[in-house]
Amino acid sequence: MIPFPTVDGLQALDERHAVFCERIEDPLALEHGKFHFSAKDNLCARGFQARAGSRILKGYRPPFDATPIRKLREIGGLLIGKTNMDEFGFGTFSTNSGFGIPRNPFDTERCCGGSSGGAAAAASLIPEHLSLGVSTGGSISCPASFCGVIGLTPTYGRVSRWGLIDYGNSLDKVGLLTRTARDLERYLPVISGPDAKDPTSQSQPVLDMRGEVATVAVPAEALVGLSPEVASSFAEAVKELGRNGVKVREVRMPSLRYAIPAYYILATSEASTNLARYCGMRFGVMNHEFDQGFNDFFSETRSEDFGPEAKRRILLGTFSRMVGFRNRYYVKALQVRQLIIREYRKVFESCDAVLTPTMPFIAPRFDEIARMRPLEMYQADFLTVPPNLAGMPHISLPCGYSRGIPIGMQAVAPQWAEGSLVSLARSWEESFHYRFPEVTA
Amino acid sequence: MKIGLEIHVQLPTRSKLFCGCSTSGDAPNSSVCPVCLGFPGARPFLNRQALEMGVLIAKFLNCKMSDRVWFARKTYFYPDLPKNFQITQYDSPLGVDGHFMVGEKRVGIWRVHIEEDPGRIRRVGRSGEEVAMVDYDRSGIPLVEIVTAPDMTSPAEARDFLTDLIIELRRLIGVTGEEQTMRVDANVSVGEERVEIKNITGLKNVERGLRSEVTRQTKMLAAKKRIVRETRHFDEERGVTMPGREKEFEEDYGYIGEPDLGTYRIGPLAASMAIPETPLVRAARLSKEWGIAAPAARQIVLTDWALADMFEALAAKVGGEAAMSWTMGPLSSSWKDLREKASELREDIIGIVTAVTSGKMTDSEGRMRISALPSGKEAAAPGEDAGDLDALIVKLVDEHPEVVRDYKGNERAANFLIGQVMKAMKGKYSSKVVAERMKMELEKRL
Repeated sequence: MIPFPTVDGLQALDERHAVFCERIEDPLALEHGKFHFSAKDNLCARGFQARAGSRILKGYRPPFDATPIRKLREIGGLLIGKTNMDEFGFGTFSTNSGFGIPRNPFDTERCCGGSSGGAAAAASLIPEHLSLGVSTGGSISCPASFCGVIGLTPTYGRVSRWGLIDYGNSLDKVGLLTRTARDLERYLPVISGPDAKDPTSQSQPVLDMRGEVATVAVPAEALVGLSPEVASSFAEAVKELGRNGVKVREVRMPSLRYAIPAYYILATSEASTNLARYCGMRFGVMNHEFDQGFNDFFSETRSEDFGPEAKRRILLGTFSRMVGFRNRYYVKALQVRQLIIREYRKVFESCDAVLTPTMPFIAPRFDEIARMRPLEMYQADFLTVPPNLAGMPHISLPCGYSRGIPIGMQAVAPQWAEGSLVSLARSWEESFHYRFPEVTA
Repeated sequence: MKIGLEIHVQLPTRSKLFCGCSTSGDAPNSSVCPVCLGFPGARPFLNRQALEMGVLIAKFLNCKMSDRVWFARKTYFYPDLPKNFQITQYDSPLGVDGHFMVGEKRVGIWRVHIEEDPGRIRRVGRSGEEVAMVDYDRSGIPLVEIVTAPDMTSPAEARDFLTDLIIELRRLIGVTGEEQTMRVDANVSVGEERVEIKNITGLKNVERGLRSEVTRQTKMLAAKKRIVRETRHFDEERGVTMPGREKEFEEDYGYIGEPDLGTYRIGPLAASMAIPETPLVRAARLSKEWGIAAPAARQIVLTDWALADMFEALAAKVGGEAAMSWTMGPLSSSWKDLREKASELREDIIGIVTAVTSGKMTDSEGRMRISALPSGKEAAAPGEDAGDLDALIVKLVDEHPEVVRDYKGNERAANFLIGQVMKAMKGKYSSKVVAERMKMELEKRL
């Protein structure tokens, strides 16, 4: 065992760094149809480890490309790296990674948000860069908002999940984080489309990029529990939209408050089965202690290499699936999901989008996060979870800054209408100036 | 005594249930891919053919068919299960509440569903130093599971049920595996409490396992001991059931829907599906339609599907009884040779049998001609060199003046001599030729 990278490994790192720099510095690359992109570490790509932020997957090199990565590579995209994340997507601040914690480009004492924290940081830091992110319960919106970039989460089933390491399969969506609406226009059509390798992607209608957002609904329930700077920035943004000719209506969506509990039951139920496969054999971390029963063998690896949040969610999910509890929790949560979908549909009868702040507060500092209890963290997602639970497309756009720290707003559109969110992003960036952190080499 | 069975039969598809891997791997772990190895990021896509076979089976078993079905994850940890959950069907089987007739006995079918097989663990090496190796070639092989009501009342009945079921499935969906590949969980209760014998392979072992378990339970009841509800295993070598090594409490599989596979609307498919006639259904029909004994009908159909075709064609001409005796007699005995040319020889066979039953040909001649059919001797035309035939006929007619006398009043008298010639010539000439020449000779002498 050699405790440091081998010569080959170092060379590969060097080469990758050289290519990375070249791509970033070559202004003609784009004109030649080339561009660079990164992928959240739960998306599989040849030539890279796929660890999904978990030590249990250390060393796993998938033998195939995730469909969105394959499609981007096919049109000349160069994958320059994998971005850090909460272990398997379990978190709101990217502090639950087995491999260090990404820091907010606007203030390194603050978090990036999660779980696609590294993806948002990359999009914020690197000009002309496209980040592939993944959202299960708000993991694109949240970090986009905290890092001051655009985060688009398409409709569930719009982008193939082949090659995505599962968190909650009925909720997981691959999306984009970037600085400009132009990138969404360019790359959303590329990664979308039916894929025989993901049956849930096969019933989608053709992507229509022409939609518009003329009327937005603001649910009263979304304005409770906000920090003062988020509340005032959001109010200002709503006024600005009004000035741009967007009609704003206040609505009530009482069932939104049930989204968090329903989400955590469904997501953890699915996650606890998805994570069953990580047991120290076949891929990732290998357990070589063969002189024990298989239960002990599995438990050893899982005890050592899953982080505490992964263990918490496995326990939660396993509990919700148990005989006697299944109907009270899992089945009930499925019903709540239908209720929320119906409530959105009703609002969409008279509005093109539902508009809320993205997160109730700005990116917290790490010392603040250390004091939060799990339930408080879960509660922070109360605005990003509902559209995810409903499978509706949504976008987070920068809409203000508080002492230099970005604030985001989130628009939710009807199923398959992500095109209208892209046009909203385009018109918004014409009237609102985005700021990006200065980086010195 | 009550016996209920859970039967797993492999569906004969070329690729696995949720990936494109071949179902016939040769060397261990030669037919595997990221999907059937459960690699992170890989996900299942359904083999439609397997679903269709499952639907056909459920419909064949007279089940109430579901309109929509979906899959479920059954989670348990075991080294041969790559994802540590099995994709199966839980709250939406393909069909429920069916039945299957074993002769006159009706056995209820509780449910039919499809699922993936796990891999196989092989233990190699000497006892004490043995190593467990996992072969994932079987991982993802499509299975149909059929769950019966506890309607069987003896191990023999259970065996008859399985025998008949596999006969029907073989024809219905082309199950290729022998009955040895069938895996069965058997529930048996002699008294109040039931015991499950898990994972018995093969028909004979099911009966043996059940017998031994019935004996065990009967002895315990006689000794006024309490039978505990448990899972046992059948030790094939020793022929006895042993308590399972697993924990005693019922395992909680924590079923949830499989979110990677959608729902499948099978209602219209099931409704439009025609059930082809299966062997035992055909046997029952033949028995009823032509008034032949049930075992005979069964034997004809099980010998060969084409033999039963032959029977039906014959029966239409000569009636059930004659058709049966010809089918089970001369046709069966030379069927091995006849089988390949059965369709082209069909009219000849019908001609011969009709000739015999209408008295135009003797029975023995008919038999001889049928046995001569496959070698094609029938086609031999009498050439100029038929001198031996004419000589024999002259000789026989000389020896039997009484035939000449009888022939005057009844042409059928010639049959006796024709038979003699056929016998002596061993099928060298067709009966038609022999009859013609015999007639010529006899008529010369009138």
